[in-house]
Amino acid sequence: MNTIDATEHYSTSAHDRPPSLLTVILDTNPHAWAQLSSQSALPLSTAVANILVFLNAHLACNYANEVAVVASHTQKATWLYPVAAAAAADPNQPPGDKDGDTPMLPQTQNRPPPPHEMNKYRPFRIVEEQVTQNLHRLLGGTTADDLSATTSTLMAGALTLALSHINRRTIAWAEAHGGETDPNAHANNNNTTTSTNTAGGGAAAAASGGDKASTESGLQSRILILSVSSATGAAHQYIPIMNAIFACQRLQIPIDVCKLAGDAVFLQQAADATKGVYMALAEPRGLLQYLMMAFLPDQRSRRHLILPTRVDVDFRAACFCHRRVVDIGFVCSICLSIFCEPLEKGECLTCGSVLEMGDYGAKPAVVARKKKKKKVRGPGNGASATPTPTPTPGP
Amino acid sequence: MADSDEEYAGEVSEDEVDGSQISSRGGAAQPPRSKRKKNRGGAEWEVSRTWESLVEGADGTINSTVEGLLEAGKRKRLLRDTTPLQRGIIRHLILVLDLSHSMAEKDLRPTRYLLSLRYAQEFVREFFEQNPISQLGVLGLRDGLAVRVSDMSGNPTEHISAIQALREHDPKGLPSLQNGLEMARGALFHTPTHGTREVLIIFGSLLSSDPGDIHHTIATLVSEKIRVGIVGLAAQVAICRELCSKTNHGDDTTYGVALNEQHFRELVMGVTTPPTTFSQRQSASSLLMMGFPSRAVEAHPSLCACHSNPSCGGYSCSRCNSKVCGLPAECPSCSLTLILSTHLARSYHHLFPLMNWVEVPWARASRSLACFACGITFPPVPPRDQWQAADVQSRGMSVSSRYECTVCRNNFCIDCDLFAHEVVHNCPGCQSETTSSTTPGLVQVTDRMDTSA
Repeated sequence: MNTIDATEHYSTSAHDRPPSLLTVILDTNPHAWAQLSSQSALPLSTAVANILVFLNAHLACNYANEVAVVASHTQKATWLYPVAAAAAADPNQPPGDKDGDTPMLPQTQNRPPPPHEMNKYRPFRIVEEQVTQNLHRLLGGTTADDLSATTSTLMAGALTLALSHINRRTIAWAEAHGGETDPNAHANNNNTTTSTNTAGGGAAAAASGGDKASTESGLQSRILILSVSSATGAAHQYIPIMNAIFACQRLQIPIDVCKLAGDAVFLQQAADATKGVYMALAEPRGLLQYLMMAFLPDQRSRRHLILPTRVDVDFRAACFCHRRVVDIGFVCSICLSIFCEPLEKGECLTCGSVLEMGDYGAKPAVVARKKKKKKVRGPGNGASATPTPTPTPGP
Repeated sequence: MADSDEEYAGEVSEDEVDGSQISSRGGAAQPPRSKRKKNRGGAEWEVSRTWESLVEGADGTINSTVEGLLEAGKRKRLLRDTTPLQRGIIRHLILVLDLSHSMAEKDLRPTRYLLSLRYAQEFVREFFEQNPISQLGVLGLRDGLAVRVSDMSGNPTEHISAIQALREHDPKGLPSLQNGLEMARGALFHTPTHGTREVLIIFGSLLSSDPGDIHHTIATLVSEKIRVGIVGLAAQVAICRELCSKTNHGDDTTYGVALNEQHFRELVMGVTTPPTTFSQRQSASSLLMMGFPSRAVEAHPSLCACHSNPSCGGYSCSRCNSKVCGLPAECPSCSLTLILSTHLARSYHHLFPLMNWVEVPWARASRSLACFACGITFPPVPPRDQWQAADVQSRGMSVSSRYECTVCRNNFCIDCDLFAHEVVHNCPGCQSETTSSTTPGLVQVTDRMDTSA
């Protein structure tokens, strides 16, 4: 319907690059940061300053680019920017307060900026203020009990929050720009428009428009994880993290991982599965340079770049019974638990169901039969004294 | 709009009366016509007077009602049973496509044939996405025969290219359900007992020209524990219903007739969720031997054992060291199942589904102003006297647009509800707080899961 109107095409081709949404997940695990800053002299404050510069760079790439920051702390995962309560502060979100009336804005906006920040680009200032403010609140609200309770970080929650936000922004962007969120509906729409369009040129234009739309349209989102914690402790989050990774894979959202310290198997798998960049920083003090060089290009630019990737991703599976790393494992067909050897009682240790051991119980019997055959053949061959296979003589 | 719709509905019903009279008076005179009328009449009860349920809002528009209906529609898809049922994760499924001349009809755009081929391809992709360690085969029904399209295998690209090749042929002849079922039975005959045996038929015809008694075939299918699901494209067919209900322990919900393109897709995609296991089949579970190969990267390309294509990367079989280019796969030389631990993880959300979230009445709505996950603001709580005015229009919809996770007590919007249940399978609230809030069942299992790190 709207493809018949030719002006539509010109307008879409005019604004050529759909914006991209960068969601940064900042691991604020105090244990890990304490360790890191003592080892390599990169305190959290410096890292946050570097990240803010990086966020500004992303915002500067395209006027419509968006950022979001989630903190993955020890006892909770929470938003640093944009904050739910101050949703109106997000300049892109509410269509209602475009007029920018002062009474509509929350207190963070109300306050005039300090004099040295008067000339700062407004989106930069908002991001900076909110991130630092919320980070202060988060760290200030962390008690000693919280810290002693756990040393891990809630990466699964942060990923899920980031994905929810990406989903919301994608829906909002599609609504605002008349695109469709469902690729299937999009395909259907293309079909009907091309079939109803009788003019040849119009049909061709619609088809090419559809092709372009399917690859280029929509908000491009990606997730960057700045991780400092090691894998230990993240183990109980295995299923949620994997679920989040599969969701990213499905939505074609790359997960980039910038590993400042430690090593996490999950994150390697995340970056590998979603075709993101995984980088373990050799020199954490150069964080800003790493960020700018490796993580700033969006999906479209990345097609033309040779990216730093890791080829040796750890895909090992460990058995549930002895925690041994296995090459060949035995898997329960009911609950998919992995075991390193056939179970003695034939009862799955995780779900308790009785398993048929048929094939593997029968294994020794197969070996025994072979031995018998060898024994039978043995004397016959010994008599002929030559190993060459000779047919039994006729006469 | 509403007027014309009403007229149309009236016409249909008159026609229907006409048709049934003809068939009752002299059915023999015009058998094909009366049969068709009857079939169409069967769906008459489905015409619901949707316009009558619209109520004007206070501002004289129907915006609020329409939005409510949209939300209810979204929500309806979600409200399914979330009891952690035992499911057949390892599946063996034969997809049977109707390639007879009835598929040339254009009631589904562009044609039934092309649309079902497209959905079949999507189905294959989604099937392996959801069931990475399962096997699939494709058959066709054409000219009264069953045609083999692709063999049982775990490789989606083979099936997709085989289905794509069908596009060049035209649908032809009559279908034979019996032949198709017999061939599917043959293909599933040697599959191991720990997996499920399923047949999914996309059936556009209203008849089946069979060489023998299809009831015998159904009886053998039942004895071999093969389950049949059918997606009809035209109208309900008695034998299909019987087939589905007999092979599914009397449950005929696996038979569905597509109302439109969207519904067709939903029906087909619904089959990608692993089926629940019935208690009498529990003995069929077993322990499977699987290889977890590591990735090999070589400086010089070598041939893979599965396709004989040169490649630099690949996975070497953990038992015989032959190189395969993609996973999951069965080792071509020693037939060990080769998978990654991530493939197993992909199926966990079927085994531990996320609980349904509950509606929040206005009385409890004041606790939250914005969605916990995405931060969108909720509609404000109206004064108490208006609570009844915004009556519940349809089941499953929350009056306050808030949905609450019963575990972490956070409120979410409808979009996050959909997203969490259909895509991520995580609750943003539960995952964002310390682990004490996760479901007890999950904790128990995850304690053991950690070893896969």
